[in-house]
Amino acid sequence: MADPKLRFLIVDDFSTMRRIVRNLLKELGYANVDEAEDGVVALQKLNTAPFDFVVTDWNMPNMDGLTLLQSIRRSPQLKHLPVLMITAEAKKENIIAAAQAGASGYIVKPFTAATLAEKLEKIFEKLGRSNAA
Amino acid sequence: MTDFAGMEDLLSDFLIEAGDLLSGVDNKLVDLERSPADRSLLNDIFRGFHTIKGGAGFLNAGELVTLCHLTENLFDRLRNGELDVTPETMDVILAATAAVRDMFRDLEHGVMPHAADPILLASLQGAIEGTAAQAVPARPTDGIAAPQAGSGPDWKLLLSAVTRMPVPAVAAETPAVLQPEAAVAPEAIVNAALGRRATDKPGVSGPVGRRDTERVRDNSIRVDTARLDQVLNLSGEIGLTKNRLNALRSDILSGRNDTETLHALDIAVSQLDLLVSDLQNAVMKTRMQPIGRLFQKYPRIARDLARNLGKDVELVLAGEDTEIDKTMIEDLSDPIIHLIRNAVDHGIESATERAAAGKPSKSELRLEARQEGDHIVIMVADDGRGMDAERLRAKAVAKGLISEEEASTLDERQSYNLIFQPGFSMAEKISDVSGRGVGMDVVRTNIQKLNGAIEIRSQPGKGTSFVINLPLTLAILPVLLVRLGDQPFAVPLSMVREILPIATTMVQDVGGRATMVVRGEVLPILPLSGLLGWPQQQVPQYGVLMQTTEMSFVLAIDSFAGREDAVIKSLDDFRPKGVAGVTTLSNGQIVLILDMKELLGGSTAMLGMPRSALIPAPAEEVSG
Repeated sequence: MADPKLRFLIVDDFSTMRRIVRNLLKELGYANVDEAEDGVVALQKLNTAPFDFVVTDWNMPNMDGLTLLQSIRRSPQLKHLPVLMITAEAKKENIIAAAQAGASGYIVKPFTAATLAEKLEKIFEKLGRSNAA
Repeated sequence: MTDFAGMEDLLSDFLIEAGDLLSGVDNKLVDLERSPADRSLLNDIFRGFHTIKGGAGFLNAGELVTLCHLTENLFDRLRNGELDVTPETMDVILAATAAVRDMFRDLEHGVMPHAADPILLASLQGAIEGTAAQAVPARPTDGIAAPQAGSGPDWKLLLSAVTRMPVPAVAAETPAVLQPEAAVAPEAIVNAALGRRATDKPGVSGPVGRRDTERVRDNSIRVDTARLDQVLNLSGEIGLTKNRLNALRSDILSGRNDTETLHALDIAVSQLDLLVSDLQNAVMKTRMQPIGRLFQKYPRIARDLARNLGKDVELVLAGEDTEIDKTMIEDLSDPIIHLIRNAVDHGIESATERAAAGKPSKSELRLEARQEGDHIVIMVADDGRGMDAERLRAKAVAKGLISEEEASTLDERQSYNLIFQPGFSMAEKISDVSGRGVGMDVVRTNIQKLNGAIEIRSQPGKGTSFVINLPLTLAILPVLLVRLGDQPFAVPLSMVREILPIATTMVQDVGGRATMVVRGEVLPILPLSGLLGWPQQQVPQYGVLMQTTEMSFVLAIDSFAGREDAVIKSLDDFRPKGVAGVTTLSNGQIVLILDMKELLGGSTAMLGMPRSALIPAPAEEVSG
């Protein structure tokens, strides 16, 4: 199922967290992963190299995950990128804000590889449908 | 064994990173106290707790998540302007930070943290709800705490908080910082402020005893990849040079020894020389860390101490970028805490005393690091009352540490150094924050273990500076090679002041010991052969003027062979007294590196020998 060639960008200011996400992705068979420590760095990387998927934290210095998501959706080149938001907040207003900004998925810390797999699958399913349509 | 089987890597990563984060938060809290409305500070602190919470979730450290979550909520309301920072909320926040640190310590030991003190959680909740700030009740003596009635916290919340947890063990550890005004033993305040356990007082378990528990952490190191790349580059270059040398060897072995070949050999060898020393430097650099990582935890400690003593002290940091060997950073942590504690407690005057002296009420304590040549200088400088040599001498005599006669021979510098004597305590009352008479001697011992030296500079009324000098690294030790007969020995160059010839006519008996006068100072002559327990074969020709913090003396030797940067190899299972390790000379000879302090033994007063033993009778001439 997992396409090992898919290129992921993990965005989080906490390197321990980036490592956790990277390991979980590896467990699911995705090994092609790059990291960025905040939204600004992430945008730079997205604009200079091709990526297939963005996994981003919400709370970060310089540029937070929501702003990053909004910038991605505004950019003609990047707007189709799937973006999975990871946050420690399960608050309704946060989830709504993320959905309104165009997040492809929303996942609350802490989570397991199974949860991540499920979210990814859902996103791919949706993508497949919209591509087919 | 541990609650984190299979997660050790993740745990140690988390602890390093989250520890840095928490120190950053601590410092920002100190700043926040000075500018409580700073939105970006509030935001940063919020994010700190938020990030720690996120990481803790993956470690299943539920109690840490709960604590961070509450604190984060409080900061969320503060940063949104829904609440104002009051001194009471500050106290709660600082207590929460201390509790987070305590939980980190549990994690370090592989133990799942227990729930935070219910009273703390209730106070946090109270602060979030903006209830009138309640004075947190004094330390509960039994399991269930009795909060103050009246303006108390939300009872329901408190009840739920209390019933949810195994209270007795935890409640007894209420962080003392919660109630600065309450009558808590100052020692408890200091221990809480320093985040130490009452059991690891230095001096009780000895200066090294502590390590066994605290060494658990931090066997890993974060290195800039650029530095690792350089190591890789250099080892590649060395490989190439080795190939070149191999080729040249075959040429030479097959009989080619024309000038061109020899010249190429010369070039290759000097290239290798350069590359190896570059590689040594590059490898050393991977162990270097900015000292700022150590410094950043001190402003909070200084603040807590000063506050508990009713003083207004600002700790100013400088030179945080100075890089220093990682192992040294760890070993410097406690000595610097002691120096800061000493400065805040003794160095800096009370508010009234400062006002009387016409000084600003806020005092400045500087913690500074810089590199000077091949060593690192760390300075802790206060602008307090300065040290009084006369009082120090009187104190030392009263404590029976030195005799009246000894006291009268001490100059100012030596008098200052009396505070490094074990058992010396300047505080009149023993209950004082740093008046326990342990600490300063441990400070010096620890610095000396790092091959460093500590020096005191003081000006009455202006302040006192403690200046620590450290070598850049512990791996390479500059030594002076001295000879006894044909046998070379290495002594640490850091102790050597000068080398002088010993003329028999200059040697005089003072108090039955051979001495010589160097620029007005009478110094004992200690023959190296005597210290090693060797028979003396010939009259020593040279003296090496050596200086330790306690004494200066002339080490009498037969000759010397120059200086060398020794790469120390320790003798693991076999360690003769007075030998710090061995090194190999360029000619392949193995040389013992002497540990002068150990050779001299504890008491230096009785060392030395009469002139007649040093210089045998035939050499003695009756002159004049």
